[in-house]
Amino acid sequence: MKDQQLAGIGRKDMSLLDIELQRKALDASYSGIILTDHTQEDNPIIYCNAAFEKMSGYSRNEIIGHNCRFLQGEDRNQEARGTIKEAIRHGESCVVEIRNYSKSGELFWNELYISPVKNNNGKVEYFIGVQNDASKRKQGEQELRYQHEKMEQKISERTRSLKENEEFLASIIQTMRESLLVLDPGYRVISVNDHFLTTFKVSRQETESKLLFDLGNGQWDIPSLREMLENILPTNNPVEAFEVEHDFPHIGKKIMVLNAHRIELEGQYKDQILIAIEDITERKQIEQRKDDFLSIASHELKTPLTAIKGYVQILNRLLPENSGEKYKSVLQKTGQYIDRLNNLIADLLDVSRIRTGNIELHKHPFDFDQMIAETVESIQRATKSHQLVIKGSTGHCYNGDESYLIQVVSNLLSNAIKYSPDGKQVTIQLGVVADYLKVSVTDRGMGISQSEHKKIFDRFYRVGEIQQRFPGMGIGLYVCEQIIKNHSGTLWVESEKGHGSTFSFTLPLSKPDTANA
Amino acid sequence: MRKKILICDDDEGILDMLEILLDSFGFDIIPEKNSLQVYSLIERHRPDLILLDLWMPVLSGDQVLKTIRASTPAEELPVIFISASRDIASIAAGAGANDYITKPFDVELLLEKIIAALN
Repeated sequence: MKDQQLAGIGRKDMSLLDIELQRKALDASYSGIILTDHTQEDNPIIYCNAAFEKMSGYSRNEIIGHNCRFLQGEDRNQEARGTIKEAIRHGESCVVEIRNYSKSGELFWNELYISPVKNNNGKVEYFIGVQNDASKRKQGEQELRYQHEKMEQKISERTRSLKENEEFLASIIQTMRESLLVLDPGYRVISVNDHFLTTFKVSRQETESKLLFDLGNGQWDIPSLREMLENILPTNNPVEAFEVEHDFPHIGKKIMVLNAHRIELEGQYKDQILIAIEDITERKQIEQRKDDFLSIASHELKTPLTAIKGYVQILNRLLPENSGEKYKSVLQKTGQYIDRLNNLIADLLDVSRIRTGNIELHKHPFDFDQMIAETVESIQRATKSHQLVIKGSTGHCYNGDESYLIQVVSNLLSNAIKYSPDGKQVTIQLGVVADYLKVSVTDRGMGISQSEHKKIFDRFYRVGEIQQRFPGMGIGLYVCEQIIKNHSGTLWVESEKGHGSTFSFTLPLSKPDTANA
Repeated sequence: MRKKILICDDDEGILDMLEILLDSFGFDIIPEKNSLQVYSLIERHRPDLILLDLWMPVLSGDQVLKTIRASTPAEELPVIFISASRDIASIAAGAGANDYITKPFDVELLLEKIIAALN
């Protein structure tokens, strides 16, 4: 039996015990081990251990006598086969990884070590094949390679997208119609966009790495600007809408508006300053022309209005005592509409004057409560629908432009009446808060939604849906706010849609900056 | 005796209206469109009062008045400015006008100011 099992090596001189022991040792191995007889035709397998049976799924009966190639199934064109053939032909050892197939047809990666056994004359008689199932490792390797490739692909995609992003941003920066400058913490120019170069007709060389304050003919070397820029890094207070009117080299007199921000990034961009400069010369000119137009147009309108008003008053005087009520009423109404037209024109004039910074206050001390009482009285005379109620008093004499403040109070009262068609009462609350006079006008009208609270003080702004029911030019509140501002006070609104509005203003009784002067 | 008022305004509509109005109040009116003519009209007609528009072409009202005031004080020849300008108060004071009235005006107020200036 034992002789039979080891028939191939029967010629060797070794004790049976040794052989049995060695066979057990070989069967205990994890690696599949085979022996092929090189002296016989087609190099048949003459021995296999238990691990080889397990690995291949074939039994010993099905293995002995076969050439090893039966393990390759149909998969015959493997590179490893050539390596094995070469090794066998030259009687050398080799290591290959070869795809083998078990009896059930399942692929396993065989890490095969082939080693020749030579006789005393150096002639190859046997080959020993040691085989390890490398499928798991191979799979792991393949998985790793796949993940690696996937990762590389992702990285290259990400890199490409970053690059595209960067190019996209760069193209925006280059094409935007605003000049951009990046400064280092020492106010030296790191980079500028193309628009900067074309706007100021300068080259990159004469701009980059220069101090901002040294650019051109020192156009940015303005003490107040310098101070603000010096504050940007430590305080993070941005410079906003800083206007510079200057005779620039190459481009002449221009008005530029400048915004500057600290770059809020850690790392390589930390503590850099981004400056955006916009040429607003043309915009200013257009605004100026519009304001001039407003001013001239409203002034021109006043002249014929003066003539009309005069004629109507002459008619009134010439009207015989015994004229019918109809005539008198028609003339009276004509007079009212002339006054209304005159107020509209006056408002337009005010806007143009405020825009040109031309608002000139003629201050004199006057009895504040009396001014309010008289204004309320004159509005009450023309209003039948609403009751105007004054609450409280200030008890103060105020030094300001009385006619402008009358205009503010009249405007707030007219608005309160106009926008509360169903309300019966408008309240005027007077008081002193700290060292401020405070006036509040409250109606029980339609109210103003929160989103409109700021906009209603913009000139020509009209709350969307009301224009049809309540025509107007959107000037009144703008003018009021400017007048109050010019008195160093504030005007604001508290209101909720559908729940009425309260417009309040405060006026300082003593102006700190002039009181100390 | 009817008082003579010289009115200078470059707008004929205003001139016509003022002439009719002030005539109805019992004044003699000397209307003039061209501010350059004011000096010779003063010499020829010796008006008791001048109503002077502020904004006029070639020579503005305050320039005309400055020349007048160089030789004639306010008590001798009162001048009232008429203007649509809101800053007329300071201009009137600076140029030496006796009073001012803003366009468009109330006729009663104008009459009050004329009578006050004449006295």
